[in-house]
Amino acid sequence: MTAIALEGLEKAYGTTPVVRGLTLEVREGELVTLLGPSGCGKTTTLRMIAGLEHPDAGVIRMGGEVVAGPGIRVPPERRGLGMVFQSYAVWPHRSVEANVAYPLALQGMPKAELASRVREALRWVRLEALASRMPHALSGGQLQRVALARALVAGPKVLLLDEPLSNLDAALREELRAEIAALRARLGTTMVFVTHDQGEALALSDRIAVMNLGVIEQLDAPERLYREPGTPFVASFVGGANVLTGEVEQGVFHCAGLPHAFVLPPGLHARNGSATLVVRPEDLELGAEGTELPLSARLFLGHAAEYRFPLGDTLLRAVGPVLDVRPGQTLRVRVRKARLFGAE
Amino acid sequence: MSASLSMLVEEGGALASTLGVSLGASGLAFVLGTPLAILLFRTDLALRGVFVALFTLPSAVPPFIWGMGWLSLASPRAGYLNRFFGEGTFDIYGAGGIAFVMGLSGLPLVLLAGAAALRRVDPALDEAARVCGATPLRALLTTTLPLALPSLLSGAVMVLLMTASAFGVPYLLGVSATPPTRVLTTRIYELVLLGGEGSLTRALVLSSALVLLAPVALLATWALGRAGRVRLSAGKGLSPRTLSLGRARGPLSLAVGAVCAGLVLLPLGAVALTSIQRSFGAELSWESLTFAHWTGVLLANRTLDAAGRSLVLSVGAGALVCALGLASAVLRRRFRRLGPAVEALAVWPYAIPGTVLALALLVAFSRDVRFILLDRVAFVLALAHTPWLLLLAYVVKHLALGARNSTEALAQVDVSLAEAARVSGAGPVRAFVDALLPLLRPALLAAFVLTFLVCVTEITMSVLLIPAGSEVLGTLLFELQSYADPASAAVLACALVVLVLLGQGALAGVRRRLPGERA
Ligand SMILES: Nc1ncnc2c1ncn2[C@@H]1O[C@H](COP(=O)(O)OP(=O)(O)OP(=O)(O)O)[C@@H](O)[C@H]1O
Ligand SMILES: [Mg+2]
Repeated sequence: MTAIALEGLEKAYGTTPVVRGLTLEVREGELVTLLGPSGCGKTTTLRMIAGLEHPDAGVIRMGGEVVAGPGIRVPPERRGLGMVFQSYAVWPHRSVEANVAYPLALQGMPKAELASRVREALRWVRLEALASRMPHALSGGQLQRVALARALVAGPKVLLLDEPLSNLDAALREELRAEIAALRARLGTTMVFVTHDQGEALALSDRIAVMNLGVIEQLDAPERLYREPGTPFVASFVGGANVLTGEVEQGVFHCAGLPHAFVLPPGLHARNGSATLVVRPEDLELGAEGTELPLSARLFLGHAAEYRFPLGDTLLRAVGPVLDVRPGQTLRVRVRKARLFGAE
Repeated sequence: MSASLSMLVEEGGALASTLGVSLGASGLAFVLGTPLAILLFRTDLALRGVFVALFTLPSAVPPFIWGMGWLSLASPRAGYLNRFFGEGTFDIYGAGGIAFVMGLSGLPLVLLAGAAALRRVDPALDEAARVCGATPLRALLTTTLPLALPSLLSGAVMVLLMTASAFGVPYLLGVSATPPTRVLTTRIYELVLLGGEGSLTRALVLSSALVLLAPVALLATWALGRAGRVRLSAGKGLSPRTLSLGRARGPLSLAVGAVCAGLVLLPLGAVALTSIQRSFGAELSWESLTFAHWTGVLLANRTLDAAGRSLVLSVGAGALVCALGLASAVLRRRFRRLGPAVEALAVWPYAIPGTVLALALLVAFSRDVRFILLDRVAFVLALAHTPWLLLLAYVVKHLALGARNSTEALAQVDVSLAEAARVSGAGPVRAFVDALLPLLRPALLAAFVLTFLVCVTEITMSVLLIPAGSEVLGTLLFELQSYADPASAAVLACALVVLVLLGQGALAGVRRRLPGERA
């Protein structure tokens, strides 16, 4: 069953298009993540689902019913959603408890039941102790958790989360991530999750929609997205791959405008012509064979090290075992695995 | 057209007096305000908080009451100062006296403008001058002061505008001077009282001359604001280190205290003394003191009647100003394109002199003109010659207070607060009421109190618009002072000062709860 369907959504602010023909289906109980760089339109998309913005064109369906489209505009309060805002939007004139109780109070829930539901929601986000605090006496992470509790408390069928974990420390983030997953398993809530943290997206999502400049470049399960990126952008955004443009000629990739060339692994020999080469840092091998490049920096990562080589005006990044080398030294770099886009 | 010009030439004296008095008042406010602003806001002067409160008092108390105070002190024969120093030492009547009183009334405008600028001047600029080898005083005079100057000057321009539109003080100190000093506002008042076609036309010509001052002054403050803004640091919360006065601290504090006592406390004291004297001008002795005036004036039917009317009108004006101001702020936020139009409607009347505004309403609702287009509108007929016309005047004039307060408050609250309420299930109205209104309440309350206080003591428009036979507190004060006895007027003035002080206290309480002020 489709819970949310976005069909050809367009949205511009003034003359600047922000969302350009976005299509996406979210199944019931699924967690779909919108992942993309800052300003690519993630929040705008989420706001259109919530009914806080009206698309210029396109249709939004929820549970089979059209909620936004030509001539139809269901207001946010009648869409039965929960939402965590990027700016938290915790009401400063209400205590933590009163903030969380608000959606229930609007439903006219009896006092006793309301109180127990609020307590439960605060327990999910580990805020029981701060129930009567006012928001100005809370930290950023605590505010974020109030917003989360408020969005969850009424048990919405659809939960929209705009970077709900961005202000939490690593431990608390892990914990809440697990909590969100558990809640989803228990309540079967459909979730649309916005983040620009790829690790978070990979760990949490059923499917990830990678957005760029207002469109979805690829929509796939995390593993597949990582293994088989559909575009150079996806490859570089998810997994931080090196993206090089140039020409392929008989198994050798010549970088555009640069003297450097890389021998391609056997599987890619057959193709020729101008192309984009995408190589993950861990697929570059430093050793006795390969292209000679001067090392500009070595970053110690603990279990491994990152090596940086200037390549025109970009950097080539390789990750591998910690070697005893110094900046300025020349190393040999071999491409072990890569993807080619655009070559015949 | 040429007829209008020749009229203006005939009234050249009033025009010249207006310009002279206004320039004098703004000059005085600037010359007095600049060193005071630096001493109060940039040095370790003793009792700064008390001085700031006392020096800003003149803007809360209507200028007319300060005029009464100075009249008690320095009317040529009976004034307390002249009785002490010898008859005729001081004469508060005439252009000089008007400029003096208006300059002191406008002092807070210069002080507050200066305070805002001095607080925003980046302390690093001062420190850079210090590092270059300047003494603290030199750094202040060569760095901070020039940077704050545009703001101080724009405060002075506001004093100019305020003086040009003032009516009460020029009437009190000008009309019965020998020879009489007439400014545009008092001349317009005389012409309206005179009545008749010719006088009214002449009053309208003078009004156009007066109203031209507003855009000129606004343009000047705008230009000064631009000149000043560039070099001020945008950062908030930079609290510049105060300049230590060293050994001069004691003497300077005393001097400022003396100035404060002389300019602020003395005239108020004089009003209070006049209110308990058996008759103004009689020999000063314990036996001549009496509270008879107090009970006589405050419990008189005439006073209670006027107070009741003022209360209704001022509360009504305050409520309407808040409601319309809030509506205009919401409209501006919702439909950005309407912004300039709504802004103009709400803010421009504030810059138009009260006399001109009142005259315009008078003409618009008069029996002579209404037949042109308004004859069929029943409520227009109902408004003419009733106190409700005064309510309209109060609201139009002070709409800016409500609009500005609401706009600023609304700009500070995050829209997503209302959106969060929408997503939680509240309709648009409910979301506004639940999530935004509570945050706007302090600002609206402040606008209400401010409007109430200004209207309850308003004289300029009230004397022109109040129908014969009814009175409000402002016109009662005006009548008592001008035509009855100064002692009764002094009683009413004291009562109004107490009211204003209470109101200001409440306002300070409200302001502390404004969003931006908490940190
Ligand atoms: N009200 C608005 N008026 C004009 N432009 C806007 C408005 N809201 C957003 N934009 C622009 O639309 C683009 C997309 O904004 P959006 O908030 O959807 O980005 P985002 O993907 O959520 O980014 P981030 O990760 O930084 O939150 C941005 O370039 C932004 O500047
Ligand atoms: Mg965003």
